[in-house]
Amino acid sequence: MTKQLVMNSVCPAPFQLNTSLLKKVLMTALSRGGDFADLFLEYRTSLSISMEEDIIKESEETLTIGLGIRVIKKDRTGYAYANDLNEEKLIKAARAAAVIADQRISRPRPVAFRPIRVKNRVAPVKKLATALPLDEKIDLVKRAYQAALNFDPAIKKVQVIYAESTQYVWILNSEGISVKDCRPMIKLAVHSLAERQGHRESGYYGGGGRVGLEYFKNSMTPETIARESAREACLLLEASEAPAGSWPIILSPGHSGVLIHEAVGHLLEADFIRKKTSIFWDKLGQKVASDQVTIYDDPTIPGFRGSYNIDDEGTRPDRTLLIDRGVINEFLQDKLSARLMGKKANGHGRRQDYSHWPLPRMSNTYLAPGEYSPEEIIHSVKKGFYVSRLSGGQVEDSGQFTFSVTLGFLVEKGRLTRPVKQATLIGTNLDILQKVEMVGHDLDFGLQTATCGKEAQQVPVNDGCPTMKITGMTIGGQL
Amino acid sequence: MKARKSRREELRHLADKLVGAGLKAGADEIEVTIYDGHQFEVQVRQQQIEHLVEADPRYCSVRIFKDKRKATFSTSDLSWSTLYSLVKKAIIRASRTQPDELAGLPPAARYKVDELSLKLADPALIVLKSEEKIKLALETERIGLSDRRIINSFGAGFESSELKTILVSSNGFSGEYFETEASLSLGLQAGQGDQLVEDYWFSSARHLKDLSSPQEVARKAVERTVRLLNPRKIKTQQVPVIFEPMMTSWLLAFLFQCVSGEAVYQRTTFLADRLGEKIGDDKLMVMDDGLLPGKPGSRPFDAEGVPTQTTKVIEAGVLKNFLCDTYAGRKLGLASTGNAEPEGIGPNNFYLERGQVTPEEIIRSTQKGLLLTRTIGQGLNPVTGDISRGAFGLWIEDGEIAFPVSEIAISGNLNNVLNSIEMIGSDLSFSSQICGPSVKIAEMTVAGL
Repeated sequence: MTKQLVMNSVCPAPFQLNTSLLKKVLMTALSRGGDFADLFLEYRTSLSISMEEDIIKESEETLTIGLGIRVIKKDRTGYAYANDLNEEKLIKAARAAAVIADQRISRPRPVAFRPIRVKNRVAPVKKLATALPLDEKIDLVKRAYQAALNFDPAIKKVQVIYAESTQYVWILNSEGISVKDCRPMIKLAVHSLAERQGHRESGYYGGGGRVGLEYFKNSMTPETIARESAREACLLLEASEAPAGSWPIILSPGHSGVLIHEAVGHLLEADFIRKKTSIFWDKLGQKVASDQVTIYDDPTIPGFRGSYNIDDEGTRPDRTLLIDRGVINEFLQDKLSARLMGKKANGHGRRQDYSHWPLPRMSNTYLAPGEYSPEEIIHSVKKGFYVSRLSGGQVEDSGQFTFSVTLGFLVEKGRLTRPVKQATLIGTNLDILQKVEMVGHDLDFGLQTATCGKEAQQVPVNDGCPTMKITGMTIGGQL
Repeated sequence: MKARKSRREELRHLADKLVGAGLKAGADEIEVTIYDGHQFEVQVRQQQIEHLVEADPRYCSVRIFKDKRKATFSTSDLSWSTLYSLVKKAIIRASRTQPDELAGLPPAARYKVDELSLKLADPALIVLKSEEKIKLALETERIGLSDRRIINSFGAGFESSELKTILVSSNGFSGEYFETEASLSLGLQAGQGDQLVEDYWFSSARHLKDLSSPQEVARKAVERTVRLLNPRKIKTQQVPVIFEPMMTSWLLAFLFQCVSGEAVYQRTTFLADRLGEKIGDDKLMVMDDGLLPGKPGSRPFDAEGVPTQTTKVIEAGVLKNFLCDTYAGRKLGLASTGNAEPEGIGPNNFYLERGQVTPEEIIRSTQKGLLLTRTIGQGLNPVTGDISRGAFGLWIEDGEIAFPVSEIAISGNLNNVLNSIEMIGSDLSFSSQICGPSVKIAEMTVAGL
């Protein structure tokens, strides 16, 4: 499945920095007595193409180059970065980061780098999209645009965005790790606007991941993406206001994974645990959810947006079992939290780019499949709310969360009836987790376009779940 | 200081040179923006420095037009060979896209204000030592934690930034300005067991003297956190909702999305056909103003070099103007209002004009209702105006705050909200680019049990 890899053979020009200079920078970073230091060298090229109002309106290329320098002393982090990679600037930045450790002078032990070759497990790419001609990508955009516009006469406006990026990283640290990787990503997303008798609604759909352009032939065509987007806009034209109050909820497979991400995933991130701000901080090994709930975070799923061969600290990740039949099994760790908690780093240290330090983050998070068929689950509800599309959510450390529903259905006597739009689901995680009554066997994943934000850092993620039923949850709709 | 100045001279020359090279390489028009900044950030938690960041970020962003076709690029590598090759690639990319008759730079205009008259920068902030900044953060957290009701801290932070913006266009425009900003913030947690509540407060300003003191930031953060303790649940009902100023800000941010010229020509706003019509209560007066001295959204010119101005967006409830950059303006047959951002259209100081009553009077006027203090989640749809968000607030009974409420969501429609504004407070402070005073909405749905 995984074809030949891209990295190691390819070496962009900025990666020609010589190791002795980087060693000097790292030594300078440790010169005030830091316990640990690392360098994160990034070179990223991105391209986006947009089409609206019947024309390919714009293309944009972005080139990012920078080096981030981190120094850790106990639980304190010093950070500096530079765009200009000449020796003078890098040494200046290293000195700024070094200050966090306040010793006057320290003689750090010299580091000997041990270069590690990374095996590509996650990006089944035949050829980097970056290396392919612009016209091929423009063609994908035009096809999606036409397909959305032709879906229904009610579709009045369409906007299509194609985006690709290739991120090269080189991570070196005071433990001697020196590792490089290449991380490709593509995305095609369609916004459709439907209008009937002065009433307007919009739809959205997209696809992509750590894949090559062949994805749009083999996995999801531009036409499929476009039609799903247009279908949603048209369906919303028929939708009525969502109800308000506390109802039994059924969550659709795939898109509803965001609930797992928000309600559980974030609160298992080790920084919130060691700082004791997460409601879960003292609950390792305890039962916090119903038996139906088993949750994994897996950075190794090939082609997925949230996947990586190594995390942003150079740690090789594995699938992490977060919750095992209701019991908290493990937290999401980066190096800093793992060291402070006496645990093993499990490959979840991620950062937005060179200008940020790593934090414990999710990758691809999902609720494991259960035993029920989706039909059984729907049949079990007399009067309830079926969530078809969740567009996002947010959680607080205390466990309160919200989700935005763009499209849902009423459930009446075990059947989906009329479509409803725009509602918010709210709850607290401990409460909801106990109320997961049925989990289906139909595990699916959400759109390959999702991004997760934490402390102003955005990273690509994905999440998934099977059809699931929650006995009661508050919906904020209209009375 | 001197080194920084001469570096900025160099960057100015680089912009000029790049414009020249772009024209020579075949662009019809080219616009070059260079940002050169300095950033400091400290976060303390439990009276220890948690992290310390220092950096001098800079990057260059370029738009080129050829035969009415557009291509853009940006880069953090400012070496001449990289810049020149990106220009050449952009010209080739432009030839692959389709012509758009309305694409192009605005005519060069002269701006009449500068960083001095707009009071954009504070010399005192530039020379403030790192140790002083760290002290401010430590002091803020120390005061917050000294309150016995507070059980944990999310940390206190001090951030400061300096930014130079240099803009040179082939239409003859050439301008630059320098600005500063600082902020002090604190997040706290209170409660016990699984019943935890959290909130935060911050102050941000261009000038050090306008920044709230550690005492003030800590006091507000404590007050905002502990008032959420022991929340109750409420039944789903329709009641008046009072927005605190920070809540008015998100409501206005949503309104901004709906009056942005880009949303109008793309018809992704429910206000697309409503220019000149009454869209809200008579009391409603909304402005966008780039010329207010010292305020966070002020600047002499926008991202295309169009001078900023004072624009009435809503006057006495009537929609007076959409906010446009040059392209959206041409699309709609309107003039640019000086709202161009590097990506799309953005606010200068977008604010709701203050009213006469104090926030206390607004609460006293309410028999039964919700004082909205914080919302979480998305749930705003500009196409329809629909609003639906998770919320935190204080329940009001007989004109007084009775108890905090949790696990609620508020919903409504911006069209209805604008038309049912009952009272506007006098408590407007320009704490962010988009801001407004307290506002009372006659009725919204509050969903609970």
